[in-house]
Amino acid sequence: MARILRPYGKKRGERRTGSKRLGSYGEALFFLCVLAMGAAGLYVMLAEWILPEWRANQHFAEAECTVLGTRVGTRQVDNGIQYYPEVWIRYRAQSQQREAWTYKLAPVYVGDRPAAEALIEGFEVGQTYPCWYDPQNAERAVLVRQYTWWLWLLLVVPASFVILGSAGLVRALLHTSTSAERRAALVQRAAGLELFEDNQAMGERYPGIPRPSSINDSPGTHLAYRLPIDVSPGWKLLGVLLICLFWNGIVGLAIGGVVSDFVAGRGSWLAAAFLVPFAIVGMGFIVALVRQVLVTSGVGGVRLEVSDHPLVPGEAYTLFFSQSGRLRMNSLAILLVCEEEATYRQGTDTRTARQRVFEKQLYRRESFQVRPGMPFEDECELVVPEAAMHSFQSQHNEVKWELLVRGDVAGWPDYERRFSIVVYPQGARVAAV
Amino acid sequence: MNTPRVTLSLDAKAGPYQPGDVLRGQYEVGILHSAEVKAVELSVLWHTLGQGEEDLAVHFFERLAGEEGDVLDLRAPHAFEMMLPNSPLSYDGVIVKICWCVRLRVFLGRGKDVLTERPFQLGAVPAAQMLE
Repeated sequence: MARILRPYGKKRGERRTGSKRLGSYGEALFFLCVLAMGAAGLYVMLAEWILPEWRANQHFAEAECTVLGTRVGTRQVDNGIQYYPEVWIRYRAQSQQREAWTYKLAPVYVGDRPAAEALIEGFEVGQTYPCWYDPQNAERAVLVRQYTWWLWLLLVVPASFVILGSAGLVRALLHTSTSAERRAALVQRAAGLELFEDNQAMGERYPGIPRPSSINDSPGTHLAYRLPIDVSPGWKLLGVLLICLFWNGIVGLAIGGVVSDFVAGRGSWLAAAFLVPFAIVGMGFIVALVRQVLVTSGVGGVRLEVSDHPLVPGEAYTLFFSQSGRLRMNSLAILLVCEEEATYRQGTDTRTARQRVFEKQLYRRESFQVRPGMPFEDECELVVPEAAMHSFQSQHNEVKWELLVRGDVAGWPDYERRFSIVVYPQGARVAAV
Repeated sequence: MNTPRVTLSLDAKAGPYQPGDVLRGQYEVGILHSAEVKAVELSVLWHTLGQGEEDLAVHFFERLAGEEGDVLDLRAPHAFEMMLPNSPLSYDGVIVKICWCVRLRVFLGRGKDVLTERPFQLGAVPAAQMLE
């Protein structure tokens, strides 16, 4: 029974627990609640505040009134007293003389009496001023007309609930009423993929394989294509720097507080001990930052070029390599690797698992020097093994081929640079890509 | 409501299918007593298995549905055939697997459906081995 009614699903290795149908109903109910909350909020805001204010500005009839008196009203709220201004006016509307206490359409509440008094100090008793009354209810009149801009801004909150709830509800209903295959077919059609078209472009004739165009757009100087680096060392340095600053900034503030407590004679050893692991992690970030600075500044540019792209298993290609900078290299290696990547949700987290399934050293050179202005350059052969799996990319799963450049520099941190390549299935005709 | 007897078969073939091969098969839905078939969906698709969330893409999709209130009569065998695509090839990886199959989903009344699959192999990529 528990298995049938299990209200949630969990990914356990290669299988998922729980009922998909029940999950979809729960999802629909959740988004229905979100939609209902948004619609209720939208209705209240529009009916109570925004539309009446808009009517007062657009449809109230103008008249002349005489001020008979002014006062500041009060009301008790949770955190004290609030004040609101009121003006007693006499005006003529729809052939009748009328009197009313008014100011704006909705009461204007302020935190102190002088502020409320300031709002009505411009109205003198006995003087005449323009006023506006509601043609549908002439006893309703205002002295001040204006739009409250933040009310319109606040509309974003219920409106976003309505949009989120509607979209989620449609999606959940689609999930319960249509099969996964039909949804996939609809999505593919919407994405412009012609399922049954024979005369497709070469890229579209290899579905599930990443397009090689981003690589093929960059011609090389020695060979046909220059491979783009996966993550630039500069971006990596910036990332490490930001994390280091964020973490150590917070830890530094906390340490400063503890130290000042000790200076003032009321320090707590417990608080100091609590901060120790955080400080150790912070020092680790500093070490990583220094290492990244050394790698970024000391190791010059690495360039890889390939004689053709995308690659096809079993065929031989030429790989050109260039390393610039001022380096005394213990060793330098180029590896061809294939990794599987799987993205999955665990609770509220999205995680990515990686597994290397192929690794082959294509090139290795030991003990040499790279001098400024004289980059180290060499070539080697690149062959993807016959019958190897081609590159594959879907929303949550990937088979990724890469070239790895690993450098062991004397007296300097080791470095690694990654260059993505696209491998097509064996026998693919890539000339037309 | 009785469950209909669903038969889905692929024509015999020696070895795995290759890109560009024609996949042929047939299906038959035997209806017993009060079982009513509202619609039938035939798909040729690949989906992933493994550690990641499941991805699915349809290569061929056909839906047969009766007019409002009508019941489909599928007792006669329905043949199908289509050319297989160039990729993705079937793959038995360590944390990512790609599986091809023909899937027949028979929709009955009251939101129930019966699903039948015939897996097949596209290409001959050897199984991956774990490294490290």
